[in-house]
Amino acid sequence: MSRIGVFICHCGENISRTVDVERVAREVGQLPGVAFSTDYKYMCSDPGQNLLKKAIQEQKLSHVVVAACSPRMHERTFRKAVEAAGLNPFLCEMANIREHCSWVHEDKEEATVKAVEIVGMMVERVKKNRVLPTITVPVTKRALVIGGGIAGIQAALDIADCGHEVILVEREPSIGGHMAQLSETFPTLDCSQCIMTPKMVDVANHPKIKLYTWSEIERVEGYIGNFQVTIKRKARSVDEDKCTGCGVCMEKCPVRKIPNKFDCNLGMRPAIYVPFPQAVPNTPVIDRENCIKFKTGKCGLCQKVCGPGAVDYEQEDILIVEAVGAIVVATGFDLYTIDEKPKGSLIKGYGEFGHGKIPDVVDGMTFERLASASGPTGGKILRPSDGKEPKQIVFIQCIGSRAREKGISYCSKVCCMYTAKHTMLYHHKVHDGQAYVFFMDARTPGKSYDEFWRRSIEEEEAVYIRGMVSRLYQKGDKIVVMGSDIAVGVQVEIEADMVVLATAIQPQKGADTLAQKLGISYDKYNFYSEAHAKLRPVECATAGIYLAGACQGPKDIPDTVSQASAAAAKVMTLFSKDKLEREPIVARVKEAGCVGCFYCKKVCPYGAVEEKEIRDRQGNLIKVVAYVNPGVCGGCGTCQATCPSKSVELDGYTDEQIVAMIESL
Amino acid sequence: MTQPIDTSIYAAVTEAIRSEAKRILSEGQVSAIVGYAVARRKGSAQPIVISDAADVSKLIFTPACVNNLSVYLTKAKKEIPKNGKIGIVVKGCDLKALVGLMGESQLKREDLFLIGVPCAGVLGSVLQPDTELTSDTIASKCRECGERLPQGCDFVPSVTLPATPEQEQIYAAEIARLEALTPAERWAYWKEQFSKCIKCYACRQVCPFCFCEQCLCDRNKPQMVETTPRPAGNFAWHVIRAMHLAGRCAGCAECERVCPMDIPLNLLNRKMAKELKELYDYEAGFEVNDKGPLASYDDKDDQSFIK
Amino acid sequence: MHPEKQKHAFEPKIIAFVCTWCTYAGADLAGTSRMQYPSNVRVLKFPCTGRIDPVFILKAFQQGADGVLVSGCHPGDCHYIAGNFHARRRFAAFRKLLEFVGVDLNRLQFSWVSAAEGGKWVEVVTDLTEKVRAMGLMTEFKELALEEQWSGTIDTPELKEAYDQI
Repeated sequence: MSRIGVFICHCGENISRTVDVERVAREVGQLPGVAFSTDYKYMCSDPGQNLLKKAIQEQKLSHVVVAACSPRMHERTFRKAVEAAGLNPFLCEMANIREHCSWVHEDKEEATVKAVEIVGMMVERVKKNRVLPTITVPVTKRALVIGGGIAGIQAALDIADCGHEVILVEREPSIGGHMAQLSETFPTLDCSQCIMTPKMVDVANHPKIKLYTWSEIERVEGYIGNFQVTIKRKARSVDEDKCTGCGVCMEKCPVRKIPNKFDCNLGMRPAIYVPFPQAVPNTPVIDRENCIKFKTGKCGLCQKVCGPGAVDYEQEDILIVEAVGAIVVATGFDLYTIDEKPKGSLIKGYGEFGHGKIPDVVDGMTFERLASASGPTGGKILRPSDGKEPKQIVFIQCIGSRAREKGISYCSKVCCMYTAKHTMLYHHKVHDGQAYVFFMDARTPGKSYDEFWRRSIEEEEAVYIRGMVSRLYQKGDKIVVMGSDIAVGVQVEIEADMVVLATAIQPQKGADTLAQKLGISYDKYNFYSEAHAKLRPVECATAGIYLAGACQGPKDIPDTVSQASAAAAKVMTLFSKDKLEREPIVARVKEAGCVGCFYCKKVCPYGAVEEKEIRDRQGNLIKVVAYVNPGVCGGCGTCQATCPSKSVELDGYTDEQIVAMIESL
Repeated sequence: MTQPIDTSIYAAVTEAIRSEAKRILSEGQVSAIVGYAVARRKGSAQPIVISDAADVSKLIFTPACVNNLSVYLTKAKKEIPKNGKIGIVVKGCDLKALVGLMGESQLKREDLFLIGVPCAGVLGSVLQPDTELTSDTIASKCRECGERLPQGCDFVPSVTLPATPEQEQIYAAEIARLEALTPAERWAYWKEQFSKCIKCYACRQVCPFCFCEQCLCDRNKPQMVETTPRPAGNFAWHVIRAMHLAGRCAGCAECERVCPMDIPLNLLNRKMAKELKELYDYEAGFEVNDKGPLASYDDKDDQSFIK
Repeated sequence: MHPEKQKHAFEPKIIAFVCTWCTYAGADLAGTSRMQYPSNVRVLKFPCTGRIDPVFILKAFQQGADGVLVSGCHPGDCHYIAGNFHARRRFAAFRKLLEFVGVDLNRLQFSWVSAAEGGKWVEVVTDLTEKVRAMGLMTEFKELALEEQWSGTIDTPELKEAYDQI
């Protein structure tokens, strides 16, 4: 039999002004199961809490209802007090007779009647409350960072600097990502390589960072604190431990004319290569599709010239498993494909702007490589077609971005700023040239951003034309750009030497596949979804997985770095304890009733439901039932409302508790 | 006006079922076959499980083969061997139940050998099994059938389905009639219908989707639904039953057929199917592995009813 | 002094099922802002609208509720990502079912009330209370419940005949 204690708070006069608290105490004292009821001026005060603790011990109370303010205010306070008196904290409930009663009703009789019913409802509920032990989950204090761009590098360094081991996985042969490709960066115009490469070297030299380049995530199992990640290390054909990075193999390789993706296919590389001179690790990889040895079995020159004997044609892809407690996803972005409509894609392409057909129509990243001192032209801005310096250059913004008819409705966020930067770089390098920019509006929020944009117009003489380009065609060695200037209301026609398209930012190819492996959600563009747009912007809904950088949405470098450090801080918070403690409001499966229809699994927003085989002693399969991983469960209870037989139950909000409340009314 | 329905293909279908059953049983492709056999009353049919190729001549297909046999693959599985593939004779309507059961992890396609039956319709009442199939005697569900030729089966007899006459859509008409009434009139209608209920749970027993081991409505801690065959409990039972079948029931109408009190149970199921079709463009029983309309969502779902 | 409150002949019983993160907090805000609304509503707190089983609505009506309110976070604001999306579909279907069996949907209200919308909470609760008050007692389920009990009198010819034969 329950011995319930009910404590009615006056809250000074906040409650007692409109609720006859003595009458409430008297009336609920008559309810079956209530052993003790009293009222007190301030239940949350020290004497109030002591009254509660004393009553629990003296009256041997089994459950407690505190009728006072909102549980959002003081539930924790009273549960702590109850725990201090030796009861499980989840045997205490609050009845909200202030925010939901005394403050919103003037009539004392009405408010008192309502208060009695609210308290009575909580009395019936608390009778069905069960002892709930706090759930603890062990935490493996190692982190996995997926993606070695600036986001991944920053997150990995922050976590490693805190003393935790980090596994950094990068799909390409080198870390660095897109930032390594950039020439200068806005709004300060410092050279990207100069600020990026020291960080890359830090990663390579950090004793706590294990770097896997030319590697991909194969499989992810487990849950927060306890992930098992299978990583595929693609065959590099060069032994990383033996290679000294001398580069002789690359010099001797007879295949020399392979377009280098890093240089947007403007420069050439051999079949054994590092994508750029500052690559980390500085270990080449053999492009087996183009290597003569792999195509014909002949050659083998690189192996012959390699002093340390690092070249290994027999190398195979290997799978390794790493145990980690947290995962930072930092897979970055890709540019909108403007040539044509990719198969099965939302986007429609910008074939009409001649990209891919007219050689001097390039995208923004190509322009970065042309402007980069380490790029294929040594930093001279030259047309890809004939190597001449363009004297008239047109930049067109919002290519793909904010173009619903092209399949993308969002703003890519960085293009306004990088186009302003491009006009400056151009003006610095081609003093007698003229830059034109077609734009919808200039979006420049950010520290020193608007000033930067104004500078491109006021000091660097870029001509901004508000309007979109309607047509673009090759005429001799010129590109005629036709558009409208909507500010003035006239048609504009520019004979340009070169056109740069500010193409939209998209998530990396395969972002959806990776998300499925990780069990995280993504939007229709394949950007990864944060748990809460405002309050949990770096966490995934899947516990233990965090987001950094443009994989979550278009971002510039400062935002990316901030988010990467934030994600690292979240990881460190998780790692600050040996065991993860959580409120035991989680769903539990009653296996006897479960028939394994897995509707719970279908609706679970957290991917917390797994399939579990029930076997007899001989090992014969009896049935497959659902299992809710308490480390992953978010505690929403959608599974229970969906389960036809109610074989999954949310602790703290069981059907018994809820029905008891309804039936009390 | 009574119009005859051409069931001349049923004899050929029966022959084809038998020869295919013989082949798969003797080749050991399946360990047993669930099908229809002649029952004692003249013209009637009953379910049968055969596991011997010598028994294939017992298999038939006639307008009296009304049962949805899929229930024998889940909860009524007692008579069926546990090991090996199982063959089953399915009409288009029954196949939809099987598809649903596969989506709900109750069956695996690779464990089944589906013998699909081209079907022009079955009888509405088995009280007079020896009746000719006409536009009057045909089951209500068959009047609205769009799957006379089951798709995706392992075997379907190659016969040409005769054209069926245009028939009055009883469910659609009845739903429209009820929808036009006032809430009070509808309440009165259902109150009368549900008051007939004796809580025999035949509807639950026969339903392929009522496969829960412990029905919510049998629970007593807490008691979610009164178990007594009295008005409030009856009402709750039928409403919750309809809700639990929403998005899953594909309309085999077995519940309605077996109801000894003639409660128009399938009407509730059809109404829910109609609403889910209108709301989410969803029809049950066509695709395996989809989540179903009530286990999935879209950001842009209708919320005109929410303030 | 408060102005004299109008007394009504009938005060409906309103049961509200709300999620803890948005609507419960919104109702708290109405309280801290000292907004006034009818005292008829009784609030049951759930973690999420996703937890609210249609059976509870039925149960509430059977328990004598004259009106039922279900309220949670606006789409996209769910603390549990998608609980309210699942609830939206579930209740879109369930209300159609209730309507079909003759429940007047004016007695069943769904709303999104965020933690910042104390005013909206007051409006939703007041509107529902007034609407249901004007509709009067929800007799349907109460009658069903009454019919469960035998009055103890032998008031039908069948009963009388059976009784006489004993």
